[in-house]
Amino acid sequence: MSDIRLVNLSKTYGEGNAVSEINLKIGEGEFFSLLGPSGCGKSTTLRMIAGFIKPSAGQILIGSDDVTALPPEKRDIGIVFQNYAIFPHMNVAENIAFGLKLRKRNKNEITWRVTEALKQVGLAGYGERYQRQLSGGEQQRVALARVLVTEPRILLLDEPLSALDKGLREEMKFWIKDLQKNLGITTVYVTHDQDEALTMSDRIGVMSKSKIVQIGTPQEIYERPKTLFVTSFIGHSNMLDVTILGQDANGVTVDLNGQELKTRASSSVTPGGAAKLVLRPENVLIGAALGDGDSRLSATVLSETYQGPIVRYRLKVGEQEIVAERQNQAHVERFSPGTVVTIGWDPEWSEALVA
Amino acid sequence: MMREESAIPLVFKVIAGFALVVLLLPLVIVVLAGLNAGDYLTFPPQGLSLRWVKSFLSSPVFLSAYFYSFLLALCATLISTVVGTLAALYLARSSSKTSGAMRGFFMLPIVLPGVVLGLALYVFFTTTDIGLARTFPGLLICHVLVTCPFVIATVTASLVGFDISLEEAARSLGASPWTAFRKITLRIIAPGISAGCIFAFIVSFGQFETTLFLAVPNHEPLPMAMYISLRYKFEPTAAAAGIFAIALVVISTIVTSRLVSLRRVFKA
Ligand SMILES: Nc1ncnc2c1ncn2[C@@H]1O[C@H](COP(=O)(O)OP(=O)(O)OP(=O)(O)O)[C@@H](O)[C@H]1O
Ligand SMILES: [Mg+2]
Repeated sequence: MSDIRLVNLSKTYGEGNAVSEINLKIGEGEFFSLLGPSGCGKSTTLRMIAGFIKPSAGQILIGSDDVTALPPEKRDIGIVFQNYAIFPHMNVAENIAFGLKLRKRNKNEITWRVTEALKQVGLAGYGERYQRQLSGGEQQRVALARVLVTEPRILLLDEPLSALDKGLREEMKFWIKDLQKNLGITTVYVTHDQDEALTMSDRIGVMSKSKIVQIGTPQEIYERPKTLFVTSFIGHSNMLDVTILGQDANGVTVDLNGQELKTRASSSVTPGGAAKLVLRPENVLIGAALGDGDSRLSATVLSETYQGPIVRYRLKVGEQEIVAERQNQAHVERFSPGTVVTIGWDPEWSEALVA
Repeated sequence: MMREESAIPLVFKVIAGFALVVLLLPLVIVVLAGLNAGDYLTFPPQGLSLRWVKSFLSSPVFLSAYFYSFLLALCATLISTVVGTLAALYLARSSSKTSGAMRGFFMLPIVLPGVVLGLALYVFFTTTDIGLARTFPGLLICHVLVTCPFVIATVTASLVGFDISLEEAARSLGASPWTAFRKITLRIIAPGISAGCIFAFIVSFGQFETTLFLAVPNHEPLPMAMYISLRYKFEPTAAAAGIFAIALVVISTIVTSRLVSLRRVFKA
């Protein structure tokens, strides 16, 4: 088990940057996710850590070793690919034994370890099967067993769940997380799926256009996005046009349709400038749900959409639209289109962000 | 596993059967002509005998031509299998824009008429005076040029869908580039390589047009020896030689495919 440090790590292809100046420390035993849209440089970063891509600049340290110049086979890393890369000409047991044979372990030890590894991933008795006789989920487990049996210092996963169907994906999400936790192995997980990142990670690095734009725990990333990009990439948010009125120690005052509202701001803003007031639909309260100290404004219900566990309202505030999502439970009032209602939110749950 | 119910329409089966007959008939004719009891190459044969087979086996000209061709085909096959496999790997993996053009260039010998290629090489060898005209190395170079595209084509086909992450997985499990190539890539593309091998051998062994220009004087390969014999004698010995040529090709095909599938058996 080791920590990972990326120092000014960059990769340039021709004119374009695939990865620019990433600085990152991933702690021992940590589950770290790289989350971002397609083409933002997640795989490139992971493949540089694995040693398949030579960085244009910067350093990669695993534990206290600078591995930047080492070939993949000398890095002592386990990597699981999106398509699992099970060797088709070897059966499951041979696949898992591959790394052990290269390490010149004796036969008995290999047999024993392969059996143990198969048990660990819940595939006892699958040793004789070939890749074409395995489902996607099973291949995934074999790929993990093959990697873990060599006891690598770190584990790298590149979108390992994206080829599975939804039900299996849910199951594997928790299974991988549990396995990782039990082994305590430092893990870098690449995904473009925010649910995976939020559920599994200790920390998330959100990437956009070759850069890491925010690092934080799932809660920080979800509740305190620092930029409009992170806000719009993670979950849904209302983004209302406002004007900054002033900033003090308690937060920011903004003008929304002529009404003064208090809100949080994580960075300093200039009075008079335009900004977005960012607010998750589940934090928009309606009517009796409002508490003391909440911002309040009047709105008209445009539509009500029933979605099972939640009910979704489109509301009109001045010229702008706000979406509110309310739990569909006992004692929660429902509002029909056309009704004029009071809506509001806790200022601590809204944030002013400048584009 | 259960075999799937055959879904091939009857028409296709008939066409395939017809093609098979058209392809096999000449072979049958050659074999029968080689077993002819008469004095001349005729069909249908005037009775069957081993007369001309014996004549082939005691003819120094034919025997040496046979072994010369065998040696030439063996060398050409070995070289073009290695070179062709490497070329196919490069072409499949290179992201360079020129690789498409290069593939076309490597394939040229297949589409060029043999006469043109033979003449071109002959003129090149003589005018540059590099000591290759009508020598074994010169002839070998020509055969490698002609057989290489077959290896490139079959290996390329076996590389389609070969996932580079298999090799990468092996690397990160601790394999050096060479080990990863040997234990993963090579094993997976082995059927393509052996198919290329068989093609190369057959094409080289039967190569006539190019050989016409480049053969070493007094060391004619079998196809030329057969041609010369027919031109001047019209004896069935040439057909008897044909029997042995067919036998060699069949045996080498079986041996090569056995070698590959045997390796499969050992691995499983
Ligand atoms: N070999 C290459 N040559 C040129 N550009 C490349 C190469 N590999 C990647 N890129 C570019 O680098 C950028 C980052 O690619 P990368 O594969 O890291 O994206 P990603 O975040 O993993 O995306 P995805 O979610 O689609 O897998 C992309 O814009 C891509 O076009
Ligand atoms: Mg990727």
